[in-house]
Amino acid sequence: MSFIPHFSAHQIFIAPWTTDFSLYGWMVLMTFLVGAACGLVGNYLILRRMALMGDAISHSVLPGIVVAFLVTGSRGTVPMFAGAVAAAVLTTVLIEVIHRHSRVKQDAAIGIAFSSLFALGVILIAVFADTVDLDQDCVLNGELPLIPLSPPMTLAGMTLGPPAVVRMGCVLFFSCGLIVLFYKELLLSSFDPALASAMGLRSGWIHQSLMIWLSITVVSAFEAVGAILVIAMLILPGATAALISDRLVVRLGWSLVHAALSAVLGLHLSIGLDCSPSGAAVVVGSFLFGVAWIFGPQDGLVSRWWSRKERGPETLV
Amino acid sequence: MIRLTPSFAGQFLGIGGLFVGLNSLTMTVCAARIGDITETVWQTQAIRFLTLADPSVRFAVFGTVLLGIVCGLLGGFLVVRRMSLVGDALSHAVLPGVALGFLWNMEKDPVAIFIGATVAGLLGTGLVHLITRTTRLKEDAALGMILAGFFGAGLCLMSMFQRLPTGNKTGIDKFLFGQASAIGAEDIRLMTVVTVLVLGLICVGYKEFLLVSFDPGFAKVCALPTRWLQHGLMLLLTFSVVIALQAVGVVLVSAMLITPAATAYLLTDRMHRMLIYGALIGMLSGVTGAFLSFLGTHLPTGPFMVLSASSFFVVAFLFAPNRGVIPRWWMARSQRVRIVRENTLKAVYQILENEEFRRESVSLRELAERRRLTFDEALREVRSLVSMDFATAVDDLVALTPSGWQRAASIVRNHRLWELYLTHAVQMAPDHVHDDAEKIEHILGEDAVRQLERRLEFADRDPHGRPIPAVQVIHGRPNGNREKRATGYGKSS
Amino acid sequence: MDLSDSSSSLTVAPIAEESPLEVHDLTVAYRKKPVLWGVDIRAPAGKLIGILGPNGAGKSTLIKACMGLLPASAGWVKVFGKPINQSLARVGYVPQRESVDWDFPVNVMDVVLMGRYGKLGLFRRPTAADRACARDCLERVKMLPFADRQISNLSGGQQQRVFLARALAQESDLYFMDEPFAGVDAATETAIIELLHELRYQGKTLFVVHHDLPTARNYFDWLLLLNMRVVAFGPTEQVFTYDLLQKTYGGRLTILSEVAEAVRVKEA
Repeated sequence: MSFIPHFSAHQIFIAPWTTDFSLYGWMVLMTFLVGAACGLVGNYLILRRMALMGDAISHSVLPGIVVAFLVTGSRGTVPMFAGAVAAAVLTTVLIEVIHRHSRVKQDAAIGIAFSSLFALGVILIAVFADTVDLDQDCVLNGELPLIPLSPPMTLAGMTLGPPAVVRMGCVLFFSCGLIVLFYKELLLSSFDPALASAMGLRSGWIHQSLMIWLSITVVSAFEAVGAILVIAMLILPGATAALISDRLVVRLGWSLVHAALSAVLGLHLSIGLDCSPSGAAVVVGSFLFGVAWIFGPQDGLVSRWWSRKERGPETLV
Repeated sequence: MIRLTPSFAGQFLGIGGLFVGLNSLTMTVCAARIGDITETVWQTQAIRFLTLADPSVRFAVFGTVLLGIVCGLLGGFLVVRRMSLVGDALSHAVLPGVALGFLWNMEKDPVAIFIGATVAGLLGTGLVHLITRTTRLKEDAALGMILAGFFGAGLCLMSMFQRLPTGNKTGIDKFLFGQASAIGAEDIRLMTVVTVLVLGLICVGYKEFLLVSFDPGFAKVCALPTRWLQHGLMLLLTFSVVIALQAVGVVLVSAMLITPAATAYLLTDRMHRMLIYGALIGMLSGVTGAFLSFLGTHLPTGPFMVLSASSFFVVAFLFAPNRGVIPRWWMARSQRVRIVRENTLKAVYQILENEEFRRESVSLRELAERRRLTFDEALREVRSLVSMDFATAVDDLVALTPSGWQRAASIVRNHRLWELYLTHAVQMAPDHVHDDAEKIEHILGEDAVRQLERRLEFADRDPHGRPIPAVQVIHGRPNGNREKRATGYGKSS
Repeated sequence: MDLSDSSSSLTVAPIAEESPLEVHDLTVAYRKKPVLWGVDIRAPAGKLIGILGPNGAGKSTLIKACMGLLPASAGWVKVFGKPINQSLARVGYVPQRESVDWDFPVNVMDVVLMGRYGKLGLFRRPTAADRACARDCLERVKMLPFADRQISNLSGGQQQRVFLARALAQESDLYFMDEPFAGVDAATETAIIELLHELRYQGKTLFVVHHDLPTARNYFDWLLLLNMRVVAFGPTEQVFTYDLLQKTYGGRLTILSEVAEAVRVKEA
């Protein structure tokens, strides 16, 4: 067995959509749903310069899940969501308390808070290894290939699909709903918090709700991509879209496109290299970002180079 | 000074307690469970660790000491420059380098891993720099992206590697969460070299690194090679991350950079002390973490180190002299108590003053009315005076002792001087000055009072026409002679 | 004397000694947007020079570009007849107070000692002589009693004095100061301007970014009026005129009334 497997076009490009569709179809769908839901909320994180809060929350959700599991003994949706939301709130409060009441700055406060919580989660998993249905590998990597194998969820006689996929779909639907309903409030409070609070929007509440929204998204994505890759899912679509367009609506659209492309291409890559599918999706996502970075309409390296050639050297830094 | 209300302090205690509680909970839970499985194992492991019985333990201890020193030291620069999360991105970005280092000759070769990880880390930070410079994306997004993107690539490589027949035995998975017991002689050699290098460079270039961190523009005007210093610091940071990988793991190594240094930041005001404290705390957390993870069989080291470091941070956050939450709360509380006491003294003085000092004592009832308190509250205030030897209470009559009298007169004096100052120098209306004087009377120091007196030309009446107690009144009891009492400070001697 | 047309002035003025600062056609752009356009300056030695202009006129950018902290898109800067990186040892700098983190774990003495780093050279420790010099400089700004204070426990005026002491410790011949009067109390402002005059009498040249028009007339020997381009550069009595100030500040009404007031005071 070699490091890079033998190349077989049929197996890589055709089989996933034909013979193995029942397996890979769910995986692609799940990856897309994760990328889409995370990408939507990620756009707002980037806009508010809070990308690293995404980092913090995605790490600190872990002990929330583990504690919820240890307390209730089930991996049901409700305890998991409750644990994740509680962990997210605890993280934001810890960060606030640390940086407001000591001279430690916010960046260090974020680092301290999430790493402690994450360490706690890992230790709990290691200690209760035989009772918790999570292992350290899953925490980092997710277990995307196992998702299609779980018994499908049925609702009113209809077979919907694996529970994780259904849950992720609901979260995506919920995210879209939030954005449609509160588009202008979210935009205003992200763009100009001072004006927003002058117009009666409670910026503290918006911040905290965003954190809860984020934690719900992260916890549903957790099973598929793990705690760390979810940061890529949060930031890559939005960052790529930000290089393509200036307008928020268009950015939201492009981040969905990014999610879809990285899901499909990531699947092919992971089959081709026989490697971790979530990792492959992230690699493809980073690659797409690189493409946007080089060929983007305004910030793109090519267009910058071009405009430098056109305008002459003296107008550039 | 930040004033803390009790509820605030409660909140802190609550959260701090929760934090410590969670930590200790994990440790006890973990001890209990290990106990469940095999009663003797953790005890023998503890003894094995504490007596440094065999080479593997010695390597683990020595290795964690070294990595704690290096991380704590260099983390100081990250924390003061508000670049903590660069450390986070850096530590995740080394993963593909680690995997490629393994791939180099299909086994754990510390030098190959060191080179691979260093290159990957520098590439990652370089890309962050490039993205923020050439696009509209801000640093946070760039960091997050590089962190997760590189990590994803690393996971892919690792999953490919583990598929190989030899892959699973090489211990590459130990690099994710760290395993101090996997540190070998080769690793120790490398770590020692890096530690000596880091310590040497920081000692030699301390002044340069300090200036470039504090004020890069000024450093450039001082003709320091700022760019090289910045790059050099980044390279040293990458080194420190890389040598810590084996024991702490990729995922949590950033915490070993941030937490000990942030703890040290709470403890001192000087950079060189902060670096030394950071190194010490890093070392202690490293050894503690290694010890705890030794107690079980499959416990990762990194999380235990991080939790030990966090526990140190919580202790410093709560108890650091002057700056800790609890000392600050205590100072604010004792100040509040003092203000209440001074207000009581003032009330006694004013009651006596209204009767032209014909009496020596006031009744508790008069005091309660004057202070608008209930009888019980007044009693409590009087008890506080008595406990400080400011007053004596016989039945329900309160009389001031000489020291109490002195304090009371000086407070009244401060109040009236300040009122006079506000009406004269600041031209405020006489009915606007009382509230301000109520606050300032407790704060005015000896020097400020002397200055006020001089500016007000030793006036003896406040804007409301009441006499300002003179100095000899403060130093002794009034003898009823009001002419003498109103004499100015300058003429008294 | 309007030197924005510098070619004529260069030919007119005979070069007696090398100018402390000579700037030719300096253009600085930030993200493709020019902030400074074609700046020409030839500064006389031993003068206290104020840089005036509205917000966003590029005052800070100018002094940063002169010290090589910002890259120039075009033009060149010469300090004492040499390129900037060869004469940094003769340049002192007082950055804006907000440009550093005042929570940084250093005390007042540490900061003032930083002024000696340029003279010390790489990897050399400050000597007793450097400490003595730093104490001297602290004494001159009346901050010696605060030498052991952590810098966040100082008032704005005191922080500014510390920065000034650090610049004094540089013992330079040409100083650039970025808004040294911003956010300081009246006593500090007087103390600083006295110190600046003292330096000027010692033959040093000082460029001071300033934003307060009424005081500018009394403080400075020469003025540089800047609004992306040099509007005027010359002795205060020639440059501080209604027309030139109006040209600098454009149609900004509030500032214009301030200008009118300042000119009225001058003529009275």
